[in-house]
Amino acid sequence: MKKINIIFSSLLLAVSLLVTSVAQAKDIKIGVSFRMLSDVGYKHGELIQDTVAEWNSSGGINGKKVDLILYNDECKSEKGVANATKLAYQDNVHVIIGSSCSSVTLPMVPVISKAKVPQIIPHSTSSKITLTGSEWIFRVPVSSRFYKIVQAKFTAENAGTKIAHIYVPDQASMDFSKSMIAYVKDEYGVDPVYEAQAGEKETDFRSYLLKAKATNPDALVCSGLVDETVRCLVQSYEVGIPKSVARVANSVASKVEVPTNAGKAAVGVSYAAAFAASDTRPIAKKFVKHIKSRYGVVPGHDFSQMEDLLTMLKPALEKAEKRFSGDLASDRKAVRDSIAGITNFTGLASGPISFCAAGTPECRDGNRTPVMIEYTKGGKNWKTKVAGTVTFNASAGL
Amino acid sequence: MLLKTKKLMKAFGGLKAINKVDFELPANEIRGIIGPNGSGKSTFFNLVSGVYEPDPGSYIEFDGNDITNEPPHKVGELGLARTFQLLRLYQDMSVINNVMSGYHTLVPYSFIDAVTGRKKIWDQEKTIKEEMMELLSFVGLADYAELNASELSGGQRRLLVLARAIAGKPKLLMLDEPAAGLSPVNVDNLMKILMRLKEKYGLTLIIIEHILKVVMDTCSKVTVLDHGEKIAEGTPTQIKDDNAVIEAYLGKKMDDEEMRKALAV
Amino acid sequence: MGKFKEIIRQYPFLGFVIAFIILMLVPSVFFTDLYQSHLASLICINIIVAAGLNIVKGFCGQVTVGHVGIYAVGSYTAGCMFLYLGSGLWLTLPAAILIAGLFGVAFAIPSFRLEGPYLALATLGGGEAIRLFIENGDFFMSTYGISNIPQPEIFGVPFDTPDKYYYIAMPIMLIAIYFSFSVLRSSVGRAFMAVREDPISAAASGINVKKHKMLAFVLSAMFAGGAGAVYAHLPPGYIHPNNYTVIEMVTFLAMVVFGGLGHIWGGIIGAIIITIVYDLTRPLYEYQLFIFGLTIVLTILFMPKGIGGFIDKYFIDRRFKTKTGAASK
Repeated sequence: MKKINIIFSSLLLAVSLLVTSVAQAKDIKIGVSFRMLSDVGYKHGELIQDTVAEWNSSGGINGKKVDLILYNDECKSEKGVANATKLAYQDNVHVIIGSSCSSVTLPMVPVISKAKVPQIIPHSTSSKITLTGSEWIFRVPVSSRFYKIVQAKFTAENAGTKIAHIYVPDQASMDFSKSMIAYVKDEYGVDPVYEAQAGEKETDFRSYLLKAKATNPDALVCSGLVDETVRCLVQSYEVGIPKSVARVANSVASKVEVPTNAGKAAVGVSYAAAFAASDTRPIAKKFVKHIKSRYGVVPGHDFSQMEDLLTMLKPALEKAEKRFSGDLASDRKAVRDSIAGITNFTGLASGPISFCAAGTPECRDGNRTPVMIEYTKGGKNWKTKVAGTVTFNASAGL
Repeated sequence: MLLKTKKLMKAFGGLKAINKVDFELPANEIRGIIGPNGSGKSTFFNLVSGVYEPDPGSYIEFDGNDITNEPPHKVGELGLARTFQLLRLYQDMSVINNVMSGYHTLVPYSFIDAVTGRKKIWDQEKTIKEEMMELLSFVGLADYAELNASELSGGQRRLLVLARAIAGKPKLLMLDEPAAGLSPVNVDNLMKILMRLKEKYGLTLIIIEHILKVVMDTCSKVTVLDHGEKIAEGTPTQIKDDNAVIEAYLGKKMDDEEMRKALAV
Repeated sequence: MGKFKEIIRQYPFLGFVIAFIILMLVPSVFFTDLYQSHLASLICINIIVAAGLNIVKGFCGQVTVGHVGIYAVGSYTAGCMFLYLGSGLWLTLPAAILIAGLFGVAFAIPSFRLEGPYLALATLGGGEAIRLFIENGDFFMSTYGISNIPQPEIFGVPFDTPDKYYYIAMPIMLIAIYFSFSVLRSSVGRAFMAVREDPISAAASGINVKKHKMLAFVLSAMFAGGAGAVYAHLPPGYIHPNNYTVIEMVTFLAMVVFGGLGHIWGGIIGAIIITIVYDLTRPLYEYQLFIFGLTIVLTILFMPKGIGGFIDKYFIDRRFKTKTGAASK
């Protein structure tokens, strides 16, 4: 029994020694907190580690080595807050990268604002995060305030404003239709030609679809959960709504079940993202190939956003480093100002990314150009193409 | 009468485990209950102590209270303590805690006192502990007070069970085979302690026992059960000569010499 | 030293006063950064939950895996009272304790008929149901979480940073420990253990088994509820259903198991060690779950009664040996 006790205590000691040696001071420190439980999350961590290792082997930041501290927040706010506090006060990092989940990033903002550490977000999209008004937060991905209206803008611009809506009484589905209706009304002054709320778990949409068909719409919105969306799409062809009428679905369209189960009916349905693997730009092609060979996955926009973040962070750090005084607080401020100075960064994202000095959503939601991805083939071997991009002005959707 | 049952009945499916047993026990008596295996002795205990619910029509009275359908803890509160054939010690509790939890019904402070941790309860706890230590030294377990009950030997466990049952100062103590599995020396020792406890606390006892010697030596009266029915009742000498008992118990008639041998085991 | 021990035993409250003074001084003496205060507050919260869990699991022997649900009830009582009534910690804490106690009643009822793994399944269902209910309820802000839950003020001084909030969490933790010690050292605690060891035998001693199971559940639910409220107000004051999953439940259970099931200090030792070890292994996130799994398995295999039981065994053996003279042999 005593032996076990000794083993335990020595294990503890070893671990704590290891930790302190890892956290020893180096020149520039980057702290990372995001979900590294799932396979993909873990690979995002690898991407950061590999990139920073590359920086260090090629001379670092103006000759200074970069020290990377990675923590897992398991997509839990409790862990995220602890990580942010630890990175800010104990590890004394210059900049924090994180987090994956909006529900984790949101409570991190007050922590890093109080500690005055710049944080740059790779994945979280919730519009609430930048609405906090913090001067220390930067967002690389497209904010949910743009995603919310991107289908409305895209449909109105490309198909027309005579839109028929069928939605189910699920919160997200209703929100999608309602905000689309509101946007078209605000921008074009047009009401939907048809609007119907189907029953919960509805299986037969044909009566609604026939009525919608009679209004001769430009576009048909099927807003529901995966199953309802699929049924509504398939049945829209059964009742004879012509192919020329654009089919629109909410964000569930990005789930693989939609093209797989809807088959041919999914063709022409599109969803919004920040990056498409089917992007034909050389920079995108190269990136997709690189990620595929290195990490064995086809990169979605989570990968591209991480890559963009790191690509823009390096020159920003180099710029800031020249103004480093050795005082952590002022160094952090230098990093913040340097990131805020990034304008028209063009990377993998479909549009330029720009920040500015004020702690407002207009300044800090850097990426304002979602890309529309359209299904060109349904069924098991579904295919997509880039249907176009939609660029918003900085204050859209607020 | 301290304990009285009228037409006590319990059937498990078609089997009548206890069938219309009338039983009366005055205070201060030591009563033995004997009978072959499966004759309903333990069922009788379980019915009286509330572990089983008796069939309708039964009546049990203890110390002037109708306890026919009372739950076991109510029966315990009224002052009826018992031990179990399988001991049912609190294995993972210290010896002193085993005994102190037997004192539960007599604890003078309320739950609210306990939660708020008033000083008065610590004084009272101290008194209880002293009293229980006294009981432990009476049965000879004082040195083992802080050990876990599971660390005691078989004989010590039986003493501890006894001490726990007596801790609540019961009016009636029912012992289910207190000496089972003990060596003759230990049986004598246990019985000696039991008699001293009876004297000290003014106990009334009911003893189920397979070792007939114990019953014959200690009990003032013996009740015999067979197939759930009471077939005889009387002093040990009367029982020894009762034909029905001999037939039930030993299967055949024996002469005096054989009988004495059998009962001496 | 012996005299001091005697005084503490006479006036248990004095021990807590001393502990309070020491713990008040700890941050200024030992802490070098804010994060340590944050961690200390988390330890306080975990101690409250683990001490409560120890009552129902360790002492009363009722296997509950739904405790994290009650913890969530506490947090969301505080969160919703802030959201809809604008209440602060001094109002939400008692309310959370009360409402969590009611949930404790609900969790106790299955324990009357179910035991062991079956009870675990029932309570697991209960805990998960609470989380899912919150996650899907607009009233609870579903998956948005409730943010900006304010920190309390005392005489106009806000306790809004981790280092200050420690001075809120720590005294609450001490009060909770005081209550748990009072209960567990009294006849009620003994009755809990008796129910755990053998309900039939306990009933024969006049212990109302159902009543004590109910008491244990309600008491420990109150602990969890209180801890939940303290957590909700912990800076930056954000709660989200993701923090109340089965994984958190396993962590709480690990604390109690590691510290020592049914040992009066069990939950406290476990909460401190597990929280600190978890923090130290933060950079080793790839192996963290493995380390934890291994710790639990090793503990159960080699120290079934946890650290508390290990210490106890050592002291009791020594005391027994000196008393019986076995040591001289």
